[in-house]
Amino acid sequence: MYSVGCFPLVNRGLPRGGALAYSPRDGMNPQTDITKDAALALLRVMLLARRIEERLIRLYHQGRIFGGVYCGFGQEAIGTATTAVASADDLFAPCIRDMTVHLGRGTPPRDIFRQFLGRANGPTRGRDGNIHYGELHRGVFAFISHLGAMLPVVTGGVMARRRLGRPAVGFAYIGDGGTSTGDFHEAVNFAAVFEVPVIFVVENNQFAYSTPNAHQFRCKDLVDRAVGYGIQGVKADGNDVLELRATVAALVEEIREKPRAVLLVCETMRMRGHGEHDDASYVPRELLAAWEQRCPIRVLREKLVAATLASEAELDALDTAVQAEINEAFQQALGDPAPSPSTLMEGVYAVG
Amino acid sequence: MPSAETTFLEAIRQALQRLLRERSDVVMFGQDIGAFGGAFKVTAGLQKEFGADRVFDTPISESAILGAALGMATMGLRPVVEMQFSDFAMTAVHQLLNNAGTLHYRTGVAAPLVVRAPCGGGFAGGPFHSEELEAFFCHMPGLKVVYPAFPADARALLLAATLDPNPVVFLENKYLYRHVKEWLPAEWGPTTLGTARVCRPGSDAVVLTYGAMVHEALRAAELVHAEDGGEVMVLDLRSLKPLDTDSILAAVAATNRVLIVHEGWHTGGFGAEIAALVAERAFHLLDAPIWRLTAPDCPVPFAQELEKAYRPNAAKIRDALLELLEH
Ligand SMILES: Cc1ncc(C[n+]2csc(CCOP(=O)(O)OP(=O)(O)O)c2C)c(N)n1
Repeated sequence: MYSVGCFPLVNRGLPRGGALAYSPRDGMNPQTDITKDAALALLRVMLLARRIEERLIRLYHQGRIFGGVYCGFGQEAIGTATTAVASADDLFAPCIRDMTVHLGRGTPPRDIFRQFLGRANGPTRGRDGNIHYGELHRGVFAFISHLGAMLPVVTGGVMARRRLGRPAVGFAYIGDGGTSTGDFHEAVNFAAVFEVPVIFVVENNQFAYSTPNAHQFRCKDLVDRAVGYGIQGVKADGNDVLELRATVAALVEEIREKPRAVLLVCETMRMRGHGEHDDASYVPRELLAAWEQRCPIRVLREKLVAATLASEAELDALDTAVQAEINEAFQQALGDPAPSPSTLMEGVYAVG
Repeated sequence: MPSAETTFLEAIRQALQRLLRERSDVVMFGQDIGAFGGAFKVTAGLQKEFGADRVFDTPISESAILGAALGMATMGLRPVVEMQFSDFAMTAVHQLLNNAGTLHYRTGVAAPLVVRAPCGGGFAGGPFHSEELEAFFCHMPGLKVVYPAFPADARALLLAATLDPNPVVFLENKYLYRHVKEWLPAEWGPTTLGTARVCRPGSDAVVLTYGAMVHEALRAAELVHAEDGGEVMVLDLRSLKPLDTDSILAAVAATNRVLIVHEGWHTGGFGAEIAALVAERAFHLLDAPIWRLTAPDCPVPFAQELEKAYRPNAAKIRDALLELLEH
C-alpha cells in the first residue's frame, strides 16, 4: 500500500499558531456565521455538481459521451466556498475537478451538458470537450490540459483588471500533481513578486492519476512551499464548505485591500478514478471508505441539521429539486444541435 | 503461441522489455509508468519485472524529465522517457531544442536518449490530447524523429532509436496502439533509422505518408483499385529525420504522381518538407502537381462532427487520389 503522507481522515481543524498558520475563524459556529439561505445556496451548488457528474458518468459508460469524463466527486466544497465569497470582478482559473467553480459563477447546467456533449451552442461550441471550458464574462478562464498553464494567465488577468481600477482578486486552482510543473513555480513566484492578489488554491486530493503524494513532492506539507515564495500559506479542510468559506472570506477581504498572493492548501480526496476510464484500483479502498464519511455534501448536511438550520426533509427536498432541474437541463442539451462540419474553420482568428 | 498477432502497443512493450533485459544502461521514467503501467499501459509489468530503479514514476515535470534524461545520457545511461501525451512535451521544448539538440554540436558529447510520445487524434481527445507535432520536432537540429506505422517496425525501430547515440523522438500514434496488429517475425528489423518501406506497390501514383495515415492510405488505395483499377503505391516513411530521400525519389520515378498525407497541420507541416524535396529533386518526373492532404490550420476540435471534418481518412484520400489520377 502506498504511504500517502499527511492528511486528515477527520476534520482536524485549521492549524494553529506558527508563521504559516492562519485561522481567523477557529471554532466557527455555522449558526452564527451563515444565514440559512446562504447555507442552502452552498449545498445547492454542490448538489448540482454531484448530480450532473452522476449523469455524465452514466452517459460515458453508455457510450454517449466521447473522449472522457473527469469528475470532482468529493471536491465540490472547494469551488463552492471560493466562488461563494468572490465578487463580480474576480477571476477564476478552474482545473480538472472544479465544476463547482463554473456553477458558482453561474454557468447553467444546460451549458455544462452542452459542453460534454460537444454541442454547437455550448461554451466552446464543440471545439473543446469536457472540463476544458470557461466563460470569461463570468470571470472564468477556460482550462487547457497542460497543468499549471492557467496560473500565470489568471495572474496577468488580475494585474490588468487592477490597472483598470477594478479591485479583482484571482483564484487559481491546481492539483497536488500540478504543483510539480514549472508553470506553477513561475506563476506563484511572479504573483508574489508583483504582490498580485491571487489565491493559489491547491486541491490536494492525494493522488495525481496513479501517483500518490509521496512520489510527487518531498515537503512535509505543500503549504510549506509558501515560505520559499515569501507568501502566506494557509491550510484548510477542503471538505468542510462552511469552514472553508469563512477562511477564504477573511483572506479575500484582506488581499483585496492589501494585495498579495496566498497559497491555500485544501486537503481533500479524489473519490473516483482519474477519469471514468480508470477504476483507481491503486487507491486503497479503506482510504476511500474513510473519506466517504467526509463527503462534503454529507458534512454540510450534518452541520445544517445539527445547527437546526434545516431539517433532513428540507434538504432531501432540495436534492430532489436539483435532480429534476438536472434532468431537464440534460434533456434540453440532448436536443441541441451538433456543430456543422462546415464551421470547422470558423473562429481560428478574431476578426476586426 | 508463436504465431499470434501482436498489437502495436504490445510490440512497443516487447521492445522496452528487451532493452531492459539486455542493456543494463537503459532506464525508463515518466508519469504513472511504473506500477500503473502508463496512461496507455505501454509499460505494463515492466516495473514489476525490472524494479523501481529502472522503471519509475516522476512528478508532473516534463522539463525535469527531459532535462534529467539528458544529464543521464551524458553519463552513460540510455534513458527512454515517456511523455504521457506528446502534447505535454511542448511545456519542455527548450530541453529538446536548446539543450539536447545542440549538445553534441557544441561540445562533442553524445546524448543517447529516447522520448516516447503518444500522439495523434481520432478519438475525441480535443485540442490538447490529439496533437501531431512531428513538424516541430523535425525542425530542431540534432534530434532524430521516428514515426512507425506497424508493430514490427515499432518494435525494431524503438530498439534502434535507443541504441542510436543521439536524442530521438519516437512518435507513437495512439490510434495504432490497439487498432493495428500483425504477426511479428523472429528477426527484428529494420536495425537502422532512416529507411522507408513500400507497403503497397503501384505505378499510377504514390502516397507518401507515415503513422496512422499509412493505414488510411492503404484502405484508400484499395478503394481506388476497386473503383477504377488504378494502382497506387503507398510509401511508409517510418522515420522522418533522417528521411529516406532515395526511396521517396524512386517512388516518384515509378509513379510520376505524388500525394502527401499527414494528420498534422498544413502550414509548415512535414508534408511541405517532402513536397519541397520532390520539387527540388524530381520536378522533371512529375505528371501532376504535388498534392498535400493534411489537417487544416485549426486546433484539433473535440466534437465528432468537427474532428471527422478535420482529420484525413481513407475516404478523403480516395477522393484526392481519384482527382490526382485524372489530372
Ligand atoms: C503538463 C502536463 N503533464 C501531464 C499531464 C497529464 N495529466 C493530466 S491530469 C494528470 C494528473 C493530475 O494530477 P493533479 O494535478 O494532482 O490533479 P488531480 O487529477 O488529482 O485533480 C496528468 C499527469 C497534463 N495534463 N499536463
